[in-house]
Amino acid sequence: MKPIRIESLLARALNVGTWLTSIVIAAGLMLSLFHQRTPFPTAVHILTAGIGIFILLPILRVILMLIFFAKERDYKFTAAAAVVLLTIFAGLAIGILAK
Amino acid sequence: MNTGTELWLFTVSVAAGALGGMLGMASGIFIVPILTLWGHVDIRSAIGASIVSVIACSCSSAAPFLKGRLTNVRLAILLETATTAGALSGVLLVGTIPVSYLFFIFGVILLISAQQMLAKRRDPALAPILSLTGRSTTWRLDSTYPDRTLGRDIAYRVQRLPIGMVLMYVAGLISALLGIGSGVLKVPAMDTALRLPIKVSSATSNFMISVTAAASAGAYFVRGDIVAPVAGPVALGSVVGAILGARLLMSISNERVRLLFVVVLVALAAQMLVAAFGKDWFRGIA
Repeated sequence: MKPIRIESLLARALNVGTWLTSIVIAAGLMLSLFHQRTPFPTAVHILTAGIGIFILLPILRVILMLIFFAKERDYKFTAAAAVVLLTIFAGLAIGILAK
Repeated sequence: MNTGTELWLFTVSVAAGALGGMLGMASGIFIVPILTLWGHVDIRSAIGASIVSVIACSCSSAAPFLKGRLTNVRLAILLETATTAGALSGVLLVGTIPVSYLFFIFGVILLISAQQMLAKRRDPALAPILSLTGRSTTWRLDSTYPDRTLGRDIAYRVQRLPIGMVLMYVAGLISALLGIGSGVLKVPAMDTALRLPIKVSSATSNFMISVTAAASAGAYFVRGDIVAPVAGPVALGSVVGAILGARLLMSISNERVRLLFVVVLVALAAQMLVAAFGKDWFRGIA
């Protein structure tokens, strides 16, 4: 059996992710366009969710790489992926603290 | 936020994305100047919206490069340790830097981009792969990529990694401060420091941009600095524009696009610099 190449795995994940997120944001925009008269917090919530998923997408990509390198027993690169993840989480922590 | 504003943001972002996409650049470099100078959005919200659009553009355009084996994913994750560290520093710094300084740095980055657009990129002379020793091989970063014009795989080495890492840290810092992808700093770092083939450095830089941006965007998002009714239309517009731009690229002469690009960059740079200095200068005169 041919092993799955990391490149095609990432390509598929990013493609699907971008489409899903774009659809969520488009839905939020549509709602806010058609319900402009009434206060419509749902539209803002959907938009915010879409933006949140967009930010999660690269994080998911790093997690996929981490799992892949760990499975390959490529420990240097597993460590590199872990450092990147921790740095991103540190940013989130700073953001929450600074709020 | 009314409907007109959302439509305006969307339309402007489509245009910015298309212009960027025609030259394989993210729209981020246009978004902040347009939103602040013409849209009267304050610079922090503009940066927040822009950084999300940067993630969107990078994610949406990554697949073809990955499938074409142009992206060096191992090198990318290694360099991302430096770019995300830079982004984290940027997040910590951004509150302390006066807005006029941000405008100034942005103006300078726009001018560097314009200069880079004019200078033709050339492939660095590929080092002969004879003695496979040294840092690069212990990390197994060297790779090959398929060259369509030559019709065969080209092997390349990754050189001078430490300098590359330092430049990547700076790129990450600028990315977080200004809400741009800073491909404009990553690509020369890869061309001149790491000596990678152009196609590999473009693809790898584009791949890294989303993770670098996520490091700062995550912090801005949880801090509440990202205004959804601004960032939403901008992100979607940029993706649509980038796809259109990549299509247009096939039909328009590359030189003409390059010239248009340079003119736009210089015009925006001038406006950003005026915004940075203008008020104080006029106050000094008066």
